[in-house]
Amino acid sequence: MRPYHCAAGCANGLDGDGRAVFSINWAGLFEEHWEKWLMAKELARKRAGFTILALLLANVALLRSADVFAGESGEKTCFLDGWSQPLHCYQVPVGAGEQPAELAVAVAPAVNPDGSEPLYLLAGGPGQAASDLVPLLPSFNRINRNRDIVMVDRRGAGRSGAFDCGLEEELPADLDAFAMHLSGCFQEQRARTEDLYSRRTVDDLEEVRTHLGHEKIVLWGGSWGTRTALLYQQWYPESLSALVLDGVAPIETKVFLSARAAEQALQQLQDACREDPSCAGFGDWRKDLDRLLAEWGSGDARLADPLTGAAIGRRVPRWEVANAVRTALYDPGVAAQLPYVIHQAARGNLLPLSGLSSLFLPASDTMSMGLTFSVACAEELNRISAEEVAADSRETFLGSGFYDLFEAGCRVWPVAERSYPTPEPRDHPVLLISGSADPITPPDYADTRLDYLTHKQHLVVAGGGHINSARGCIPDLIAEFLDTPDEPLDTQCVGEIRRPPFMADAFGPALDAAPQKNSGGEG
Amino acid sequence: MRMVRQWLRGPMGALLYKELLEAWRDKRALLTAVTFALLFPAMITGATVFMFKVKSENESRLALIGAERLPLLAQQLAGEQLLVDVLEAGEPAELLAGEYDLVLQVGEDFASEYRQFGVPRLYVYMDGASKDAGRARRQLQERLAPLQQQVVQQRLVARGVAPQLLAPWRMEMRDISTPSDRGKMILASVPALLIMTLFVASLATAVDASAGERERLSLEPLLLQPLPPWQVVLAKTLAVASLGWLAGLLSVSALTALMPLMPMAELGMQQATSLSGVLAMGLLLLPLALLVAVVQLLLALGSKSFKDAQMRLSILQVAPLFLLMALDMSQVQLDRPAWQLLPLVGQQQWLKALLVGDSVSLFAVLAGSVVTLALVAAFILIGARALRRESLLGAT
Repeated sequence: MRPYHCAAGCANGLDGDGRAVFSINWAGLFEEHWEKWLMAKELARKRAGFTILALLLANVALLRSADVFAGESGEKTCFLDGWSQPLHCYQVPVGAGEQPAELAVAVAPAVNPDGSEPLYLLAGGPGQAASDLVPLLPSFNRINRNRDIVMVDRRGAGRSGAFDCGLEEELPADLDAFAMHLSGCFQEQRARTEDLYSRRTVDDLEEVRTHLGHEKIVLWGGSWGTRTALLYQQWYPESLSALVLDGVAPIETKVFLSARAAEQALQQLQDACREDPSCAGFGDWRKDLDRLLAEWGSGDARLADPLTGAAIGRRVPRWEVANAVRTALYDPGVAAQLPYVIHQAARGNLLPLSGLSSLFLPASDTMSMGLTFSVACAEELNRISAEEVAADSRETFLGSGFYDLFEAGCRVWPVAERSYPTPEPRDHPVLLISGSADPITPPDYADTRLDYLTHKQHLVVAGGGHINSARGCIPDLIAEFLDTPDEPLDTQCVGEIRRPPFMADAFGPALDAAPQKNSGGEG
Repeated sequence: MRMVRQWLRGPMGALLYKELLEAWRDKRALLTAVTFALLFPAMITGATVFMFKVKSENESRLALIGAERLPLLAQQLAGEQLLVDVLEAGEPAELLAGEYDLVLQVGEDFASEYRQFGVPRLYVYMDGASKDAGRARRQLQERLAPLQQQVVQQRLVARGVAPQLLAPWRMEMRDISTPSDRGKMILASVPALLIMTLFVASLATAVDASAGERERLSLEPLLLQPLPPWQVVLAKTLAVASLGWLAGLLSVSALTALMPLMPMAELGMQQATSLSGVLAMGLLLLPLALLVAVVQLLLALGSKSFKDAQMRLSILQVAPLFLLMALDMSQVQLDRPAWQLLPLVGQQQWLKALLVGDSVSLFAVLAGSVVTLALVAAFILIGARALRRESLLGAT
């Protein structure tokens, strides 16, 4: 029986009744008469209870119990882009009383439910919706064979009332304009910001779990989703059986200080490039980048729109270029184009830089910025000091280019401060996944900040960027971990995941260059 | 209940005992029933496992000729299901005749053409008559596509063009089938085979209990007993049906036991036969088993000889299969309530649903079973009237 179907159906008592009747009849039929049925002699001479009537009654009971399968309610069949199979969708009311809301929940039903705990996916950002993780479903199909995969869009994200501030249509030209736009959004929708914080999200999730009738769940968190998962583990340890965390943001780690992590990711890219014959020819492109950023000055208006081909008609500030490089590091396939792009830009050809920025276009409109700032300002920015920012950005290509964006935003986004409890020891099995060249949640976060977790394994993808759950054998390892969370995984295959080929020239990767070895440093 | 008990203590009990004894004593009839009941679940399991193997597990071997100058190509192509051997030279036809499923030959000046934005050629040699060629070609395309995509993306980025411009739209597939629908495709033949099991398993016994008894001249003394004829027919029906029904139960159990061996989930199908589903299937076969038994008995009684009876029943046993297939092909919507009142059709529909874990309408099952049982009763009465006719005994 798929437990979540019971959400409303269980209340009508069909299940209990049907099963009770069934067990009485069938047991009676079996125990009393089965032997005698085989021995016709006894059947004929002594008392015999074989009656068609009894069998028919038993059938009635059986079919009644089978009928409960059809008694599912509250769910609708729906589809989400990126997954061709039907999903079960629910609208789940949460936060009754002070902070009511209705959350959109999509469930990819298990092909063969066997009673395993469902896997809940927690999205990143903060600001991304779980339903944006649908593209992971094809990779998770082995997990989905016996487990439901549940995507709960948190308040203010995706289909639970996206709080987007209209920023996805047009990004303001400079930080001041950005802050002004954001300020307007905050003033307009101030009330909405009050129930957007991690504790509320975790409590909502717990309500959804109960509503769907799941006894225990397993969580997959990606990026900021790992923070939500780790907090859920602190607050509702009893509801959880295991955790998979990809791109780990430990509770006590200030993940918005990301300049050092981005710098390390860039250095790994440099090392990998140096060892690759098709990339080594770009020479010291890192020095090119420094020079490019230093000489960028107040902005460059020569960039073209990668969609229309027309000049974009505004000066692109330096922090935007630095952030584009940082963002490219998230995905090793995009990062592989950086050496060429920077080499060209430093020599006056900015077209590749425009082209590179176009690769982030499809992802950029899924973030609900109102939610992002509500959470980031309440929980992260207020615990970062100016000294920490200075220390983090010293001698990095990014400097405070990423932090400044949030700092400017939070100044006009005055939400109440929310702090986290000091993490307490937990012994759930935890699978940690990191990319060695992740510019935002590097592997040492998971290595050094999770001592309170007593039962963990860590997979580090060499040269990997941010989020590696869909790469190589990782989906299989996750499935294996969920089936036998206490067994150590055979992680040999993780070493076979390679960096995608570097861009060698305007023709693309050099097919005739010797393939690079797996490089990118050890986590 | 008490009435039934008392009734069974009387001569009816003895008669039933005699009929059951005779039915179950015939080892060859029993063997036929058990063999058929076990054979078809085993065959369905075997076929499914085989289908899955063909679909997923087979590796293809690719000979890559002339790629020593293109190491990246060889590296990107090799993968879990595609074994790539880089050869310096070779005759494609010979390689294909040997261990390779596919030969990929890189054009002479591939590397320089590629660098100069020409359109260099990759020659794929395949044996179109080989059943592995299609799979190998598909695997090659699956491996080549991501590399091609990477090249295109990098080329566009280099020119400042957003790669998404190459895809003016994206098609999103929305497959409305459910895993249980897909399960139906594999299990579609099972209900008809289950129903056929009833016919096959009870055939020998039906002939023996009617035409056989007449030829052994033991029918006459039986009819001289102080029992109403309908009880004679009923006892025989129960005895014959017991064999068919138990064979049906055996089939259902065997099928359910073998289901975990079938890679249903890997094929995206649901394996949802529950214990209560199995029990329900067994129970809803019972009225049908009785109907089959009584029809077989009547046909055998009405035949001229033992041989004739065997012939008639052999024809009868394939009849339901043809009937159900014809109905399936005629695109009649058999899941309509009215159709489910019909014996055979009703049972087929319910079995189909229960096999894949769907629910069936309780009312339809009850109504359909009652109709089937009413027919059983009617046939028993017809049989009883036939037994009163003297001519019946005279037939040889």
